[in-house]
Amino acid sequence: MAIEMAMLHDVARCSACRACMVACKQWHDLPADFSTPFNGQYQSHKDLTPTTWNLIKMNERVDAGGKFHWDFIKFQCMHCSKPACMLGCPEHAISQKDSGAVVIDEDKCVGCGYCRTNCPFNVPRIDPERNKSTKCDLCFDRIEHGMVPSCAKTCTAEAINFGTKAAMTKLAEERLKEVRMNHPNAQLYGVHSNGVGGTHMMYILPEPPEVYGLPVDPKTPDSIDLWRDYVRPIGKIAGVGAVAGLAGVFFLSKIFGKKGA
Amino acid sequence: MLIDNRYVPRHQKGFMICHWLNGVSFLMLFLTALPLYADTFLFVYNIFGAKTLQYMHRFFAVIFIATPFIGLCMARDGYSTLLKQAFSFGRDDLIFLLKFPFTLVGIEPSMPKQGFYNGGEKINILLQMFLWLVLVGSGLILWFGNGVIDNSIRAWMIPIHSLAAGIGFAAALAHIYLAVVQNPDSLHGMTDGSITADYASHHHGAWVDELIEKGTVTKKEIDAARRAA
Ligand code: SF4
Ligand code: SF4
Ligand code: SF4
Repeated sequence: MAIEMAMLHDVARCSACRACMVACKQWHDLPADFSTPFNGQYQSHKDLTPTTWNLIKMNERVDAGGKFHWDFIKFQCMHCSKPACMLGCPEHAISQKDSGAVVIDEDKCVGCGYCRTNCPFNVPRIDPERNKSTKCDLCFDRIEHGMVPSCAKTCTAEAINFGTKAAMTKLAEERLKEVRMNHPNAQLYGVHSNGVGGTHMMYILPEPPEVYGLPVDPKTPDSIDLWRDYVRPIGKIAGVGAVAGLAGVFFLSKIFGKKGA
Repeated sequence: MLIDNRYVPRHQKGFMICHWLNGVSFLMLFLTALPLYADTFLFVYNIFGAKTLQYMHRFFAVIFIATPFIGLCMARDGYSTLLKQAFSFGRDDLIFLLKFPFTLVGIEPSMPKQGFYNGGEKINILLQMFLWLVLVGSGLILWFGNGVIDNSIRAWMIPIHSLAAGIGFAAALAHIYLAVVQNPDSLHGMTDGSITADYASHHHGAWVDELIEKGTVTKKEIDAARRAA
């Protein structure tokens, strides 16, 4: 699939039924995950886990006027255009497909966790048993065969849309106008280029991003360039240089040392 | 009193133990993380398994962090000498450093008398203390900082940690070379706790003078030992 694709979560339409969470597990053969004990909350899991790549967050909020709100959002990998996880992976285990999907190759992954540390959204999770990094892969195997991702396919509220980036951008702009009628603070997220180059997981947010726990200004960290372009190459040169230097010093000391004796 | 009429006592046992704990844990930390630093060393992960090495990295990290604290209990004198000396870098230390490169190639210029640590050793001690702080600080943030410190800051710990490790390794190579190849006599100080009187007078003249003044050794003993050497 050579066309750039995108997913759009229309948050105002989401009813938090969590069918997408189940569909994601089904397609990827991920087992049920009881890591979060039940103590009265509606949100199923506290956070993403190695077997829960897609999470409907259900945040309770009381606004300045004392009005209660229940904010839902589908949270998973954002499939950044400039993916920090990929750029900072020492094993080159992460790649970006033409569709925009950012995919981990488990055979190459060594479980170092750099991808999670570098990710502005703190998405990847290391499976402690297999020692492999895991995250949503935008169902790249489905979309490369012309299907839509499992979560989008199952969504009955038409809250999850999937299509070409161009079509989704257009849909986002149109829907934003409608959503603004009821939610004056509504905005698009990831649709247009931002600090991570824009994302292939895009949102129409009725409220500002911080309400949903999303960074207002996500950025692919510059530290990755420092690490990749300077620290690693210089480290190699310095290692070889130090050994060569010491060998040189050793021979010089033999030559001069003999003369002196 | 010289030991065997030949050796000047230099390091206490606890201090030597800490030296080796620090050195071995640093090298093991470096080796267990090397595949992340350079693709060439990926085979190290393939042989021992990435998970094993990552656990070992944490194990040696605990030793590396604990060593100075062990030292403060077991080798108070050694560590207080180390700190006092490192932070009293003077004119003679500078002259030593400037002339030092000649000794590397076998030329022996006249050097000012050096104390317990010479100028080069003082620089190494200061560098090691600084690197310890950087490595431990950045390492702990990477290890435990998730959810506490934002990733926009934590991401910087990756190049900082790697850079400090690289500098530390270069310094370690130089340190090992100087100890094993250039001054094999100095190695005795870290295996047995004592160095020959000849080596001591030659490389740490000011310190030997102090010892004579304090009466730990006598000038006569030293001179006799040097003639015998
Ligand atoms: S959200 Fe994180 S894991 Fe997903 S592509 Fe962006 S940097 Fe990578
Ligand atoms: S955990 Fe795996 S995918 Fe993530 S940075 Fe390390 S090697 Fe790459
Ligand atoms: S795109 Fe696929 S992997 Fe990603 S959340 Fe949806 S179902 Fe899961």
